[in-house]
Amino acid sequence: MGIEEKLLPNGVMLAGLEKLVNWARKNSVWPATFGLACCAIEMMTVGGARYDYARFGMERFSASPRQADLMIVAGRVTNKMAPVLRQIYDQMPEPKWVIAMGVCASSGGMFNNYAVVQGVDHIVPVDIYLPGCPPRPEMLLDAILKLHQRISEEPLGARRAAKLAEQGFQPAELIPSSERYAKKKG
Amino acid sequence: MGFLDPVKGFGVTFGMMFKKVATEKYPEVKKVTAPRYHGRHQLNRHPDGLEKCVGCELCAWACPADAIFVEGGNNTDEERYSPGERYGADYQINYLRCIGCGLCIEACPTRSLTMTNEYELANDNRQVLIFTKEDLLAPLLPGMEAPPHPMRLGETEQDYYVNGPELAKRAQEEAK
Amino acid sequence: MTVAPEKNELVVPEGHVKLVIDGIEVVAPKGELLIRTAERMGITIPRFCDHPLLDPAGACRQCLVEVEMGGRPMPKPQASCTITVADGMVVKTQVTSPVADKAQQGVMELLLINHPLDCPICDKGGECPLQNQALAHGRTDSRFVDRKRTFAKPIPISTQVLLDRERCVLCQRCTRFSAQIAGDPFIELLERGAQQQIGIAEEKPFQSYFSGNTIQICPVGALTSAAYRFRSRPFDLVSTPGVCEHCSSGCAERTDWRRGKVMRKLAANDPEVNEEWICDKGRFAFRYTGAADRVLRPMVRDKATGELKQASWTEALQVAAEALTKARGSAGVLTGGRLTLEDAYAYSKFARVALGTNDIDFRARPHSREEQEFLASTVVGTTPETGVTFTGIEAAPTVLCVAFEPEEEAPIVFLRLRKAARKGRTKVFHIGQWTSPAVEKTFGTLLATPPGGEAAAVDALSSHAPDVTEGLGKPGSVILVGERAAQVPGLFSALLRLSEQTGARIAWIPRRAGERGAVEVGALPTLLPGGRLVADAAARAEVEQAWGLEPGSLPDVPGRDTNGIIEAAANGELRALVVGGVDPYDLPDPQLALKALRTADFVLSLELRHSAVTEFADVVLPIAPSVEKAGTFLNWEGRRREFGTTLDGTGALPDCRVLDTLAVEMDADLFTQTPTAAAGDLARLGTTSTARAAAPTVESRQQSLPQSDGQALLATWRQLLDNGSLQEEEPHLAGTARRVVARLSEHTAEVLGVDKAETVRVSTDRGSVTVPFEYADLPDGVVWLPGNSGDVRVRRELGALHGSPVNVHPGGTE
Repeated sequence: MGIEEKLLPNGVMLAGLEKLVNWARKNSVWPATFGLACCAIEMMTVGGARYDYARFGMERFSASPRQADLMIVAGRVTNKMAPVLRQIYDQMPEPKWVIAMGVCASSGGMFNNYAVVQGVDHIVPVDIYLPGCPPRPEMLLDAILKLHQRISEEPLGARRAAKLAEQGFQPAELIPSSERYAKKKG
Repeated sequence: MGFLDPVKGFGVTFGMMFKKVATEKYPEVKKVTAPRYHGRHQLNRHPDGLEKCVGCELCAWACPADAIFVEGGNNTDEERYSPGERYGADYQINYLRCIGCGLCIEACPTRSLTMTNEYELANDNRQVLIFTKEDLLAPLLPGMEAPPHPMRLGETEQDYYVNGPELAKRAQEEAK
Repeated sequence: MTVAPEKNELVVPEGHVKLVIDGIEVVAPKGELLIRTAERMGITIPRFCDHPLLDPAGACRQCLVEVEMGGRPMPKPQASCTITVADGMVVKTQVTSPVADKAQQGVMELLLINHPLDCPICDKGGECPLQNQALAHGRTDSRFVDRKRTFAKPIPISTQVLLDRERCVLCQRCTRFSAQIAGDPFIELLERGAQQQIGIAEEKPFQSYFSGNTIQICPVGALTSAAYRFRSRPFDLVSTPGVCEHCSSGCAERTDWRRGKVMRKLAANDPEVNEEWICDKGRFAFRYTGAADRVLRPMVRDKATGELKQASWTEALQVAAEALTKARGSAGVLTGGRLTLEDAYAYSKFARVALGTNDIDFRARPHSREEQEFLASTVVGTTPETGVTFTGIEAAPTVLCVAFEPEEEAPIVFLRLRKAARKGRTKVFHIGQWTSPAVEKTFGTLLATPPGGEAAAVDALSSHAPDVTEGLGKPGSVILVGERAAQVPGLFSALLRLSEQTGARIAWIPRRAGERGAVEVGALPTLLPGGRLVADAAARAEVEQAWGLEPGSLPDVPGRDTNGIIEAAANGELRALVVGGVDPYDLPDPQLALKALRTADFVLSLELRHSAVTEFADVVLPIAPSVEKAGTFLNWEGRRREFGTTLDGTGALPDCRVLDTLAVEMDADLFTQTPTAAAGDLARLGTTSTARAAAPTVESRQQSLPQSDGQALLATWRQLLDNGSLQEEEPHLAGTARRVVARLSEHTAEVLGVDKAETVRVSTDRGSVTVPFEYADLPDGVVWLPGNSGDVRVRRELGALHGSPVNVHPGGTE
């Protein structure tokens, strides 16, 4: 994926390092701005004081794809916008993730017509689909936190991935963030 | 330009420390939505556990995003899922399409389909986001029995609809 | 300046009247119903019972209008569906008359009093005339507060039709259809007054080949289909026009589907062909496409294990092409009767161009050389303009059906015959064995002959039944002959003689949808496409030029017919067989056919589902059913019945595409990549300008009754609903099939000693079947069996044909 491919050429198993790297990555996911429609309003809200995603190490929307790790596709993607979206995605450095925010980005939503891409996964690989029209800010936070969970499970390097696949590793089931991060009573 | 101007800003910052924090506590504390918030759907049950859905497909017809698929089925005396002749044999809502407009709720002739306030739906799997009947059916409350089973609250489906509210109240009291 | 208004007097032609509807003057033909005149003007009067093809009933009273005759208004509003137009009539519909409007609203309120409000669960909901008209012409409130009338529901009046009496508005469309159109009056009005309801006689289900039409014309959800029950909603269905693939009538259909699955089929309106009716087979038999044994991927037989295993198209085509190239010149093609015109053309061209042979025959049934000559001389090239048509039958003064059971073999032809006969203008004669329901319902006269003796009977018509020949002499008379004629030597020749003698026109009505088209495209050993003769050098040259072949490259020797191909393959003369949708058990000698399939070095099967052929096939190539491809059927009239793809994107390929690709692998070009391309290629060929085939001249012979004890002659034909592979997966439809019985006369039963038994055992040296029997007016020494119904599979179990001697013994009690 990223630099780790070059760092560990001999298949050195460093499970501890994997955890460390994933912890670092998940706590510094910087989103690229990709607000396209109404969902973008909700996405911007998440950046503000009330929802404040800086709590999760996301800090700011990166206007430059070179400094971004996460693309939140917020809104319907038209066929005309599709190549632009793909280019931005290609310009982002590895490792990178995509959240399809809202039903339009996920599947075209109610815009089942010639102009709209029927799901952004036709263009870029999507890691998390977020339903809603538009999803409320909590839902986006929930999606981001679920993405964190996925990032923290990511194997470090292709060899490690192959090894895990061999062992029959299954990623843990995604549970609602309010349950996962609920304050422990007592 | 005053003497304290360069540090005035710090004063504002300092002052904020004593104000109430505006940030939501989510995810540690789950945000309670307005009661009419359009969240995930639910297929309700009659007080004896039979399904209210009659598989009429009016929700699918009303859906502007074509997110709902329903196929009706034929109730028999041996295998009964709802009062009356017809039940929803297959029920799917595609949350990748659903815009939560609530038109399906308005279309439902039996108040079978309603919306909950549940909103944490994000997933990494498209398949999981197509909710099937098993995912959507309301949990069995005390006094309810999972269908198929015969009609417990009357002879015909008329009894269920005419006496519906009363039956529900009685069932609740019995459960207590 | 004032100009005198131009006088715009309506001219009233002969036989027409002038009347005023809603203040508009209109001219209408005498005898037209008021409701139709209004409809032509664009004024829709609500109605339930009225149907243009049924006699008026005035049952629902929904179409009330105010009528004024000669300045005197009628005292009460009148039902416009029963009143005919008259000169000087002044009509006010609900558009201009508050009286008519109030009357209609009142009727609607009455109809709704006992109608349950269960639209959400009713199959008609969304396409229901009552629903629509209640919205358009009804009141928003009902004054009825009591409990509605309830009945037990739904009542299955047959396995296919369910009756919900609560919803019924007693319009009597179903009963009138059954009594008038189909002639199966098993459904009737029962009781009187407020208790009146639709019902059936006890223990007597509504058995009709046309019962599905009552479901379609029911204006409420009172009659619903068991197969379609609760399956979907009209607003979620996509409707595609289509053509029925089951018989040679080529009915227009509407296919309703959703999410890649056909949900139901309905009759479409085509006045030239099926009017608004289709038979139950066409309506309900469509699930075979989703059968579990459908072949979806190409399969190649593993040399080592002998098992068929899935392969890629590339591999399967390569294997097939290699084997067929090796066998070029000694390969036969059997295509079957289900093909579209384009697909049959591809087979025909494939045989000639890629295999270099004329050994091709579409007839997967008993056939004869005489039939082949008849097809080449009389049938090929006929069109609705030149030949017999449905409307021709309706207008014919006399119709003679020979070796043709209209209701079982071409139900829509039967409906036309009945319509014509019911009007009293047409006299119908049947040359057959017993007074079958079709004979009764076409008000026909039976000229009974022993099976196989039809030819002699035709020859003897002028002496034995001069009224028939006299009737056939009237202009427009028609002779209809069915596929069974091929089993009677001399019959085609005799019919041609009769036609010449009387001037009546002959129409050949095959049983299956693809047969007429296959004749046209030359899927016969003696015919090239367009009726050209293989033996004719000029015709071959024409085809060679159109196909871009070297002169002289088409094989010039007429090939073998189906029997010949089977025999040659069985004794090793033919090394390879290309088999389309052929069931070996339909062939005259199934055992020999199976031997041929076993013996042939290489068998290529193009099939929809696993069958007796795929068991022996070395390569199986999947092909598309008719709903998944486009194409054209040629119906028995020679009318082109084109249809488009209903279910797109299933990946299934039509035969013509598969053959085209296979031919390319064999270094031959068919130019049949798509049905459109194939149709274009065929159209470029045109019809022949060269010599036509000579008519057959085979002597008829008297059929002699068997002399030995316990023997009888077998009469047999297939029933509409039977074991056909396109009717599988349809339990509801199968339940409406006719009871499987043998038939014989009482005298025969006595002579054979079966009159005390409950069943008869019919046997040949191949095998036997035991079946209950009924008495019918068959000639003595004749026993009738259904061709392929239930356990009675005449060809498979007995290996017998129409007219073969069989042994008949008491079958004991069951």
